Amino acid sequence: MERRVVITGAAAITPIGNNRETILANLTQGVSGVEPLKSDGLLTGHIHSKVFGTVGEPIDYAFKRRDRKTMGPVAYYACETARRAIAAAGLEPAFIQSGRMGAAFGSTHGSPTVQRGIYRTFFSETDARLTSIGAVDYLKSMVHTTAVNITKMFGITGRVISSSTACTTSSQSIGFGYEAIKFGLQDAMLCGGADEYDTTTVAVFDNLLACSTAYNETPERTPRPFDRDRDGLVVGEGAGALVLEALEGAQKRGAHILGEVIGFSCMNNGGDLILPNKEGIARTIRSGLACARLTPEQVDFISAHATATKTGDVMEAQAIGEIYGTGPAVTGLKSYMGHTMGSCGAIETILTLYLMRSGIVVPTLNLENIDERCAMIRHPEAVSEMPIRIAAIQNFAFGGVNTCLFIRRFVR
Amino acid sequence: MNRDEILTKILAIFAVNFEIENPDPDENLGEAHEFDSIDAIELIREIELLLDTTLTRQEKESAMGIRTINQIVDYVSDLAAARA
Repeated sequence: MERRVVITGAAAITPIGNNRETILANLTQGVSGVEPLKSDGLLTGHIHSKVFGTVGEPIDYAFKRRDRKTMGPVAYYACETARRAIAAAGLEPAFIQSGRMGAAFGSTHGSPTVQRGIYRTFFSETDARLTSIGAVDYLKSMVHTTAVNITKMFGITGRVISSSTACTTSSQSIGFGYEAIKFGLQDAMLCGGADEYDTTTVAVFDNLLACSTAYNETPERTPRPFDRDRDGLVVGEGAGALVLEALEGAQKRGAHILGEVIGFSCMNNGGDLILPNKEGIARTIRSGLACARLTPEQVDFISAHATATKTGDVMEAQAIGEIYGTGPAVTGLKSYMGHTMGSCGAIETILTLYLMRSGIVVPTLNLENIDERCAMIRHPEAVSEMPIRIAAIQNFAFGGVNTCLFIRRFVR
Repeated sequence: MNRDEILTKILAIFAVNFEIENPDPDENLGEAHEFDSIDAIELIREIELLLDTTLTRQEKESAMGIRTINQIVDYVSDLAAARA
């Protein structure tokens, strides 16, 4: 049994806006969401990178206390995007709670803000009884906090998948949700990922010399994927949620269909946990193309992982060049908002959907001088009208995990 | 602390920690305000701070059958008396 899987709801919280209109306006006007790193009184003094992809637009949460009490910041992001995506899809509570709908949602490591509060209590000399640790702190901080706060808020009773594979967290969520529906295990899945403002992640990448440091005084000029003068990634925050449904069910209830997921691949480099691997990326792309039953010539647009690290961009460009040549337009969407970690796959899928539905492509921001080692692919030079019928979204994570998603403009 | 003082403290905890304002002293908090087992654990922690004491496992478990504000006040009064 193989079913077509469509997207009927999508919502994102990003450093360049929290709704389609704002995000598209910032993409087309070349506005960056990267800002100075805020002091946390703990790590920021030791971190060389002083920039962060920051969610700046205020969010008016209208959650009941019943739901709020088990949420850390990451779950707030997750539940808000889930709420908006479900509302956009127009799903009825009876269906959501029927067991035919599940949730695939994750984050890099739960809520670091709450975890930091727990550690602060552990090492405090004024709270020997550890009374500052709340009864719900584990529920707020645990690695699957996003998925289960969503299931609780909406009464979702189907399967729960909570991937936590760093930068491929939410692309896996979408992919695994797609597979659950495609093979008839669920009729719908709420899929996505979230990550909150977190300086620990910055410190980790900073220690690995992978963070951007040369543009601390001009945050909007970094990251610079594929650019000769790129100097590393910029950590960011955000969330993205998509409602995936079996085509038959979506059509039966007259849902507005935003796009179709037509293929997914997830593979591992089978070796080093950090170093980018061109062969691993290429294998993943080919596997995804086979899953989607596509030839490379059919792909119009690629949302590249493109974190702006010195080696990663080269490996990705070369893998794309080897398979696609100069066919599809390739954009590194992280150039606008930094690397939103566990949410990047979902956010970049949603942004690609926005571009697909608007019939435009945008260039990689800050790409002023193409690194000659990344020049074998087609980099859009400006915002331009271009129909996107089929798009690929590529994401790669520490641990050697690679994913490739394919989406298509919906055709009846 | 006398009973009225305990009641005042408990109502303040309910307002601040659980966003429940002036509940009826005899209504079932679970049914009326979605006060659940997680909230009960949070309340026990607040009671420990209020009495500046550590409750035993048995004392904590005995609180799990409590349903109303009046029962909570009785519970705290007994704990305070036992420690007087």
